[in-house]
Amino acid sequence: MKRSAVWKDRLLTSVLAVVAGLVVSGAYIALTGKDPFKAYFELFKAGFGFESLTRNGLFQTFQLSTSLILTGLAAVVAMKSGIFSIGQEGQYLMGATVAAWLGSSVHLPYVIHPAAVIACSMAAGAIYSFIPGWLKVKLGVNEIITSFLMNNMAVLLMTYIVNFPLRADKGSTAHSAIVDETAQLPVFFQGSKWGAGFILALAAVAIIHIYLKRTAPGYALRISGEALPFASYGGIRSARAVLCGMLISGALAGLAGAIEILGVYRRIMQGFSTGVGFDGLMVAILAKNSPIAVVVVAIFFAGIRLGAQIGLQASMSIPRELGGGIIATIILFVAAESLFLGFIETGRLKWRKALGVEGGRGE
Amino acid sequence: MGDVFTLDLARATIRLATPILLPALAGMLSDRAGVLNLALEGMMLLGAFLSIVAAFWLKSTYLGVLVGMASGGLLGAFFFYLYKRYKVDLVVLAIALNLFIQEMTVFALRTLFGNVGSWSDPSIRQLPELRLPLIADVPVVGPLLSGYNAIVYFSWLAVVAFHLVLFRTRFGRHLRAVGESQAAAEAVGIDVSRVKLFALVMGGALAALGGAFLSVGHLTSFTRNISNGRGWIGLSAALFGFDYPVGVFLASMVFGGADALAIKLQATTQIPSSLVQFFPNVFTILALVLVALRIRGGEYFARLGFRRRLSAETAAEAKRGSGRESGR
Repeated sequence: MKRSAVWKDRLLTSVLAVVAGLVVSGAYIALTGKDPFKAYFELFKAGFGFESLTRNGLFQTFQLSTSLILTGLAAVVAMKSGIFSIGQEGQYLMGATVAAWLGSSVHLPYVIHPAAVIACSMAAGAIYSFIPGWLKVKLGVNEIITSFLMNNMAVLLMTYIVNFPLRADKGSTAHSAIVDETAQLPVFFQGSKWGAGFILALAAVAIIHIYLKRTAPGYALRISGEALPFASYGGIRSARAVLCGMLISGALAGLAGAIEILGVYRRIMQGFSTGVGFDGLMVAILAKNSPIAVVVVAIFFAGIRLGAQIGLQASMSIPRELGGGIIATIILFVAAESLFLGFIETGRLKWRKALGVEGGRGE
Repeated sequence: MGDVFTLDLARATIRLATPILLPALAGMLSDRAGVLNLALEGMMLLGAFLSIVAAFWLKSTYLGVLVGMASGGLLGAFFFYLYKRYKVDLVVLAIALNLFIQEMTVFALRTLFGNVGSWSDPSIRQLPELRLPLIADVPVVGPLLSGYNAIVYFSWLAVVAFHLVLFRTRFGRHLRAVGESQAAAEAVGIDVSRVKLFALVMGGALAALGGAFLSVGHLTSFTRNISNGRGWIGLSAALFGFDYPVGVFLASMVFGGADALAIKLQATTQIPSSLVQFFPNVFTILALVLVALRIRGGEYFARLGFRRRLSAETAAEAKRGSGRESGR
C-alpha cells in the first residue's frame, strides 16, 4: 500500500469521526430541548472567537492546548513504543508538584531558574513513566492497570504534599506558595496566560517528529513498538528502545505539568488534577499517533472544552460536561473506524468502476 | 492501636469489599474468556447512576437495581456487538466509554435534576439490611455475617456459583479453554463468540450491580464519579486472585480491608488519609508483580520439566534403538 494512501485514509477516518461525533452530540443537545445549531455556534464562538487582542477565546484555547499538546505527544511516544500507557495524568501531576516545590523553595536568577525547574519536572515525569514501562517489558505486567494505579498514587501524593510539607497558609483550600518571579514563564499578551510554554510545546513536537522519523534511536523505538520479535532479530535492543521511549514520554508529560505551574497557575492546590492527562490520551488517539496532528487535535479539543464551559454553560445553560461528552463520542467513532473504512473502500471501488478503471487500488 | 481492629472494622471491610468484588468477578470472567474489559469502571458508574434514577422513578429500590444491572448487561452486549461486527479496538473503545459515561452522567444529572455534583431524594429508600435467620443468633459469627443488604449476599453467592460453573460444568470448561487459547478452542468446535458474549454481558451486569451498591446500597445518593476507580481496582483484584473465584474473593477482601483501615485510621489517629489510601495502590502493584513472577516462574519450571522429560525420552529411545540393533 502506498504511504500517501495510508496517510489519507487516516486523515479521512479522523475527519469522519469528528463529523459523526458532532452530529451525534447535536442529538444530546436536542434532547435537552435546546437548538443544536445555536449551541454549536455559541460553542465555537466562545472557543475559537477573536474579538480583540485582550478579549478572545482563541488565546485562551491556545493556552489550554499547551498541556494537551504535550500530554498528547507523551501518549504518542508511549504508544509508538508499543506501551499503551494511560499514566500521563500521573506524570503530569508529578511534574507539576516538583515545579511548585522547586519554583518556590529554590532561588535562582532569571532563565536559569525555570530551566532548572523544568529539567527536574521532566526527570520526575520520566522516572514515573519508567516504572510501568519496566514492569511491562521485564515482567509482562499489564501497563494499563499499573499506570492507572500510579495515577491514583500521584493524586494522593500531591494531596498529601500540598496539605502538609508545601502548605502555604491555613486557607480553606490547601495550596502551595506562589513560585518565585524568577521562575515564572513570560506571557505573550497582558490579560491572557498564553505564553512561552506554547513555544516549548511546539518545539517538543518538532523534536519528537524528527526523532521518530529521521533518527536511528527513533527508528529502533518505532520498530520495537510495531514488531518486537522482528526488531530483536534485526539486532535492535528492543527492551532498551521501549524503555527509552517511556522515559521520553514521561518527560514530556512532566514538562506539561511544569509549564502549567510556571506559566499558568503559579502554585499548586488541592484538586489540581483536571483530567489533562486523559484528554491528552484522547488527543493522541484521534491524531492517530502523528506528532504534527497532535497540535491540531489538541487545539480543537481545548477549544471544545473552553467553548462548552463559556459558550454552553454560561450563555445557554447547557451543562459544560457536554464538552467531554463530545470528545468521548468522537473517540468512540475513532474506535469504530472500520465502519468508515468500509464506506471509504466501497466508495472508492464505485468511483473506480464509474471511471472505468479495472481492479482496486494499487497495493 | 488496640481499638482499631474491631468488629466494626471487619464489617466495614465486608461492606467496602463488595463494590470491588463485583467488578472483580466481572474482570475474572472476561480474563478467563480472553477479552480485556477495561470498561468496567464505566459500567459501574452507569449502574450506579441508572439504579438510583430508576429507584426514584419506579419508587422501588429493588427495581432500580435491576434496571441498573440490565443497563450494564446491555452495555456489555453493545461492547460485544462492536467487537464482533466492526472489529473495534476494545482498549480505545473502553477508554472512550469510561470518559463518555463519566461526563454524561453528570450532564444528565444537571439536565434532569438541575444539580451540580451530587444528587439524592428523600423518597429513595436505601436497600434494606437483611437479618440472616439462624446465623444471626450465633455468637461472633452472627454479628459478623448478618445484617448486610441483598447485594452483599448476592456477591457471595456469585463467588460460589462461578466456582461451580467454571470448574464443574461443560460451559465453564469451554470458557476457560477460550481464554487459554482461542484458536485451539475454535478448532475443537467451541462457540467462542457465545463464550465472549456471556463474559461481557454477565460482566457488565455484575459491574453495574457493584455501582448500584454504591448509589442505593451504601449511600443513597449519586455523586460525580462515585465509582472512583473501583472498576480498575476490581480488574487488579481479579489478577491478584489469579482469576479463581475464591482467590478473587480474598483479594477483594484485602482491598476492602485497606479501605476500611484508611477510614478508621483517619478517624482515630493523626495519620493523613491521603497517605493511608496511597498504600493499597502500592500493594496492588506489588501484587501484580507477584502474579507476573508466578507466571514467569511457572513457565520456567514447565520448560525445565519438559526438557528433563524430553532428554529422558531421547535417552530411552536411543537405548531401545541400540538394543534393537544389537539384537539383529
